[in-house]
Amino acid sequence: MKQSEKRGWKVTAVATLCLFNVLFFTGSDAFSASVDLKDFDHQGKKIYDTYDETPQLYMSADSGDRNLAVYYQRRQYPGSPPPIPHEVDLTFSGNETDCLSCHERGGYSQEFGKFIPVTPHPEKTLCYQCHAQVTTTEKFVETNWKSIAPPRLGRSFLGSSPPPIPHALQMRENCISCHTGPGAVVEIRVDHSARGNCRQCHVPAPQTTLMQEFVRKP
Amino acid sequence: MPIFSYLALPIDGAREMLCTDLAKLPHCEIIPSDNREVVVLVTDTPDDDTENKLQKSLNNLQSLQSLSLTFGYDDKEK
Amino acid sequence: MTKKLNRRRFLKYAAAGSAVATAGALFPGISFGDWQNLSNNSGLISWQKAPCRFCGTGCGVLVGVSDGRAVAVKGDPNCSVNKGLCCMKGYHSVQMLYGKDRITTAQVRKNGKMVEVPIQEALDLVAEKLQETKEKHGKDSVAIYGSGQWTIPDGYVASKLFKGCLGTNNVEANARLCMASAVTGFMTSFGIDEPMGCYEDMDHANVFITWGNNMAEMHPVLFSRILANRKRRTNVTVIDFATRSTRTSQAADKSIIFNPQSDLAVANAICYEIIKHNWVDWNFVNEHVSFYKGKTNIGYGTEDHFAFKDKAEPIGFEEYKLFLEDYTPEKVEKISGVPAKDIKYMAALYGDPDLKVTSFWCMGMNQHTRGTWINNLVYNIHLLVGKISTPGNSPFSLTGQPSACGTVREVGTLTHKLPHGVVMNEHHRKMAAEIWDVPVKNIDPKPTYHTVEMFRALDRGDIKFIWIQVTNPMVTMPNLRRYRDGALKDDRFVVVSDVYPTPTTDVADVILPSALWVEQEGMFGNSERRTQHFAQIVDPPGEAMSDTWQIIEVAKRLGFEKQFPWTEDNYIGKIWEEYRKFHAGPKHEMASYEVLKKRSGVQWPFVNGKETRWRFNPKYDPACSNGKDFDFYGKKDHRAWIWARPYEPAAESPDNEYNFWLNTGRVIEHWHTGSLTRRIPVLHNAVPASYVEINPEDATELGVVNGEMVKIISRRGEVTMPAQIRGRGVPPRGMVFVPFFDESYLINEVTLDAFCPISKQPDYKKCAVRLEKA
Repeated sequence: MKQSEKRGWKVTAVATLCLFNVLFFTGSDAFSASVDLKDFDHQGKKIYDTYDETPQLYMSADSGDRNLAVYYQRRQYPGSPPPIPHEVDLTFSGNETDCLSCHERGGYSQEFGKFIPVTPHPEKTLCYQCHAQVTTTEKFVETNWKSIAPPRLGRSFLGSSPPPIPHALQMRENCISCHTGPGAVVEIRVDHSARGNCRQCHVPAPQTTLMQEFVRKP
Repeated sequence: MPIFSYLALPIDGAREMLCTDLAKLPHCEIIPSDNREVVVLVTDTPDDDTENKLQKSLNNLQSLQSLSLTFGYDDKEK
Repeated sequence: MTKKLNRRRFLKYAAAGSAVATAGALFPGISFGDWQNLSNNSGLISWQKAPCRFCGTGCGVLVGVSDGRAVAVKGDPNCSVNKGLCCMKGYHSVQMLYGKDRITTAQVRKNGKMVEVPIQEALDLVAEKLQETKEKHGKDSVAIYGSGQWTIPDGYVASKLFKGCLGTNNVEANARLCMASAVTGFMTSFGIDEPMGCYEDMDHANVFITWGNNMAEMHPVLFSRILANRKRRTNVTVIDFATRSTRTSQAADKSIIFNPQSDLAVANAICYEIIKHNWVDWNFVNEHVSFYKGKTNIGYGTEDHFAFKDKAEPIGFEEYKLFLEDYTPEKVEKISGVPAKDIKYMAALYGDPDLKVTSFWCMGMNQHTRGTWINNLVYNIHLLVGKISTPGNSPFSLTGQPSACGTVREVGTLTHKLPHGVVMNEHHRKMAAEIWDVPVKNIDPKPTYHTVEMFRALDRGDIKFIWIQVTNPMVTMPNLRRYRDGALKDDRFVVVSDVYPTPTTDVADVILPSALWVEQEGMFGNSERRTQHFAQIVDPPGEAMSDTWQIIEVAKRLGFEKQFPWTEDNYIGKIWEEYRKFHAGPKHEMASYEVLKKRSGVQWPFVNGKETRWRFNPKYDPACSNGKDFDFYGKKDHRAWIWARPYEPAAESPDNEYNFWLNTGRVIEHWHTGSLTRRIPVLHNAVPASYVEINPEDATELGVVNGEMVKIISRRGEVTMPAQIRGRGVPPRGMVFVPFFDESYLINEVTLDAFCPISKQPDYKKCAVRLEKA
């Protein structure tokens, strides 16, 4: 039965989407000690503020060098602070303007010939607290580390509805920084950045708890 | 410019051989499983001619028992 | 075109992901080694709280669990310590669980070779050897050596078994190497251990002075809170007072460099200035302060059997003032190399009644042959100006390990200590005997060996059996070679409980596989008196077992079932409730097990459901009873003590032959001896090996450029390692600095085992070396 199924692929994209949808459930008793997310949405105003401050020209600029695969490859798990992928001064002295001079507002870097990704949390200025240098790619010993797959794209609940926000907003409350502008990863860059109120349509739905249906109290 | 991914099943006991065979073919990338007789194959060819040639080479592999498609992409508009 | 290519790369990634997901659905349990993500997993994670495993800051983290594995970390927004932010170690901490070389089975040395055996068999052997050694050589020939990474139950059962049941005070922990001077500082100045303030001080203080404390790298989450305050409030100044220029110096508003050991003189000079300008808060001093002096010329403890006992003599203010005459800024400038105007500047900041001042310190002041003294002297400054125990006014001693406070200081896993009080005190012994259900005569009233002397006793043969848990002394002991050779001697029996192979497991006769961090339930206690509970979140690998349960298993084999009656499913809660009895009362009341499980850390004293943020201040502290503005109830006279402590030189200073200071410490990426952090790829990739920082001018003279090998030689040993010039830290001329995390460059073969005679804590920051180009 060699090459059992193929041909008939004139469509642009076919995937075994049904298999993709197998959700993974962890033991539900683990939730007794889990933390509730009531503070989850407290940073909403920031989004509007940054939107107001970001020039239209910048948001609609079109270029992209990194892509989503690279974006996730740099992280140990979705949401972990990425190491610094370029060389930094040996002293890496912690002068806050060193990193933020580029990564606060983004733009084109002559030095690297690339558009600069923008940090969603420029108010945190001790950058090297979380972002490590890379001076070797050798491991000390091999590791059995595994993490989860990054959130899939296009997870709309209905055929054409706006997809929900698949990641936690902690440290990433600022949609503009990662989802618009030429520094943004092309797959997650929005084509309607002129509409500023992101969460008018996109609701936070990080996959940390099971979906609970609304039940009216009797 | 088609991109496809498959699950490739080797004939009995020929997983290593299948990996070697697949790795030799152009436009092919593999991810072998550690604990099952399964190999993920990703192909990425520049045009239909190359794609057809590759399909033929795959058909002729002795170590391959079956190939099932899991993902397909082609940026030619219909 | 580039865009298109990258888009293709992404599509291929998606194609592979799709295939892996399909395979996962068709073949349950399938694994792809080259594929970094869990197959068949769409990303559903449950989050559970825990304190971070690394430093003493005690950040709250949320561990993300999927498919029974820890897969991600977030900062815990409910934890007041870090409010949702971590450092790179915290964010990647879960990766430390999964190094390929985890110890998962017990090993026993048979005919010189380590052989894997079932853990129950190894525990039989440990119990048998312990019993045999005790019978043959006496109770003080057996010892246990733990650490500030012990959970609170770990340390508690260790103390109960050894002090209560076996009757030996041979219980020590590596916190002796890191916190002992802080403890004796608190005890001599206040009569009660641990800081009066809390991290909230950072949101109130106007001036931060770091005393020999590279907070930017060692306590980065706290340091970034200082920086955030400086940015938000315009009236905040940060002064870094240190012996070498670091990232903290670079971030500070002013960096002041002093000669090693001369912090003693500078602290006294600040007090001199405060009195000279009459910045003294007389109401506070008259009501709440007593003046004392102790012995001087007290030695350095480099010889075996060294003994010292301080004697406190009351003095008046006038005598104290006279004592300070030797420490005018001009005189001190000559000792310290600090310009007199800088000393006066610091004194003016402490003295200004409108400024709130917080001082931070950690190893720089504690790892000091006069560690107790320098702790006293910084308290003197705060006491003279009354800047203490109020929000923002805080002399704050930071800790380096996650439970140095919780386990070592509060449980008292030191030779002279009990969970409440000291072995020398009859009442304290009676209390312990009663709670532990052992005859009071079991508890020996005489302390035995502090850490350095314990390893000397092992070398001499006075100790024949030692059980080492959660620490790596064969990297961290100063003058290391002597202690390693001692451990390797023929009739010494060394048991090591650990999670990865280290130089310490190399000298073991039995290796027990331990559960790590959230593979077990436990509690830590951080720098600000906060107790933090964590549940078991994932399973330990193989036969790995919590250190607590290992001790209980051995105790049961030795016939102490009555004292260790617990079962594996409830022991942590039961141990906690038993331990809590020791601290009943408003001065140290601990939260109940149920409360600890719910909250992201609880500060003690926890009285009537309320945490105490500032001690000795009746507005916050219910233990105050004297009816005044402050009550320093640790001392019988209800006063804090100012000590006249002189400047005395270091145990070994550079001379013609050995002309450099050697200073050792850490980097942000690695923690302690690196046995965990080096197995975290991101951290290892950032700093894969240790190095020696050399001043650029010294390097030129030596003819060494960046990366070239340099031999560091002391009277005790030598090590050859790469030079780093103009790196993240720059020592002044005449000093070199080496991070100690790297077991390939054992810098402690070079360091000196001199210690503070009062605290018995060694000085890792000062000894004399010479350099050669290798």
